[in-house]
Amino acid sequence: MGVAMPPNAMEAAFLAQLDENVPAREMLAEAGLPHRRIEEWKWSDLRAVVGKLPAEPGVLTFVAARESDTVAKQGQESALCMPLLASALSKELHIYTLKNGETLELNVDASAGFTHQQLLVLVPAGIKAQLLEHYTVQSCAFANLTLTIVVETDARLDRVVKQDAAPEGALVLTSLIKLAPKARMAQTTLGFGARLARIETHVSHAGEGAQIRLDGACVVGAGLHLDQTSVVCHEGAHGQTDELFKTVVARDGKGVFQGKVYVSGGAQKTDARMQHRGLLLDDKAEIDAKPELEIYADDVVCTHGNALGAIDDEALFYMRQRGLPEAAARTLLIESFLAEPLERIEDEKVREHLLALLRTRLGVVT
Amino acid sequence: MLVIDNLQVCVKMEEGKGRHILKGVSLEVPAGQVHAIMGPNGCGKSTLSYLLSGREGYEIIGGSMMFEGQDLAGMEPEDRAAAGMFLSFQYPVEIPGVPILTFVKEALNAQRRARGEDETSTPQFMKLAREAAAQLDITHEMLKRPVNVDFSGGEKKRMEIFQALMLQPKFLILDETDSGLDIDALKMVAEGVNTLRGKERGMLVITHYQRLLDYLKPDVVHVMAAGCIRETGGPELALKLEEAGYDKYAGGGA
Repeated sequence: MGVAMPPNAMEAAFLAQLDENVPAREMLAEAGLPHRRIEEWKWSDLRAVVGKLPAEPGVLTFVAARESDTVAKQGQESALCMPLLASALSKELHIYTLKNGETLELNVDASAGFTHQQLLVLVPAGIKAQLLEHYTVQSCAFANLTLTIVVETDARLDRVVKQDAAPEGALVLTSLIKLAPKARMAQTTLGFGARLARIETHVSHAGEGAQIRLDGACVVGAGLHLDQTSVVCHEGAHGQTDELFKTVVARDGKGVFQGKVYVSGGAQKTDARMQHRGLLLDDKAEIDAKPELEIYADDVVCTHGNALGAIDDEALFYMRQRGLPEAAARTLLIESFLAEPLERIEDEKVREHLLALLRTRLGVVT
Repeated sequence: MLVIDNLQVCVKMEEGKGRHILKGVSLEVPAGQVHAIMGPNGCGKSTLSYLLSGREGYEIIGGSMMFEGQDLAGMEPEDRAAAGMFLSFQYPVEIPGVPILTFVKEALNAQRRARGEDETSTPQFMKLAREAAAQLDITHEMLKRPVNVDFSGGEKKRMEIFQALMLQPKFLILDETDSGLDIDALKMVAEGVNTLRGKERGMLVITHYQRLLDYLKPDVVHVMAAGCIRETGGPELALKLEEAGYDKYAGGGA
């Protein structure tokens, strides 16, 4: 790094809470919060956004269907800045061990001010469980949350992340997922953006029959920002990854898609597919997309696609000619565009709930 | 029912320039009649269908088009649809992700709401859909598919007529509905259209060839060339054109 930047108010508040010589302090003092000059954050300038938010501690309200199984005092190590900060600045680590057939709902609400939290969700071998998360971020809040999820052999986890629009708040939700051999996981995000929201997912993929489906449907309302970043690392052979992300962005909104699939030399027979489709609702809407494949094995099937477009005027005219008012026709087109990833949710009740939620919210956004 | 009077239209182009595409078209379709418009490619007949249904990109520089006493020019496409105007598209548009039945139901109810009528009930709608589908040899599986996606040319045209049967418009414009149809599909589509014939309903059939007219038997045939109606007559005019072609109308000027 070059010359260290003077810390902004938010960074100064974090530094004041960190002990000397802890890695988080060193990282923060040297590099600051992630900002646009860091490649992984070039389209999401977190430092600039949270530097303008009040640098006071806030309250994170955590409503779960049940108590966590264990609370550890010790945070978890990470090479990533935000999980490292979440670990160093949160007071405890809640650990949930899911039971077979369990659906764990987590409702997280961040009040004004900054909050850090970390969670560990364990999915023991052989079980099947669901994790349903819902995040709301109030005005002037900055929430930094890290979830570590470990899916053991032959276990199956279906995860849904709902993120409410937060026009005056910021959210960084980092998920660190570890898939054991033969583990299966499906993750679907339905996000509506914030002053800045980043939903970042890292998957350590053991292969050996392990599978992950990683999907997202994002509606970025006027003036909002939503960043969906994922990194899937295939470390063992015979692993599958299937990603489908859709982003719709309204006027002055910004959608970011960064998807990376890394296939190590030992991960032969990897089957990884990544698709991103964007729909811009206005000339002043922005989508930045960077799909990336990095492959060191020679016997794999890896594909990626990325396409951006606007509402199809021909389709709009056709629908209006049949009697649908323009607004209804637009909403139907947007809804059908976004429904595809949501329709891949296996649980019918959860799927119908998300589709209904999308329908309700679209009326407001478009 | 439909009265077009000396309609003159430009296609909007860049830098404010326009290309004169209809040069004073007049025709009148009373309720209960089927009129055909025939003409060579580029004569302006498809433009007329888009104008009547409200597509953007055209500028009316003179004349008028009235539908049941209402001036169509000032109406949005959806308002024209609610008033009873239906265009069967020459190239029906694909709408991925929207199942055909969902689409037709939304459209029908939007029209009904716009007219101040109650929404249709699901059982009633499904009964109507089954009957219309059976008439056009449309399978249940086809009705579940997204609108026009992965349909053949003939299937798309059948779906247009299916929608017309469901929406029961007062006025039908068929824009080259015969193109891309084999003889069996043509017969089936024509039968579907014929069930819609009635003394309350008008139709404008736009076609290049006479073969669809064998089945539809229009009351009046207009020949359009170079943006004008050049000749108007009975069904025998279509037969004459089939033999002699459009050569005698080449060169423009009324």
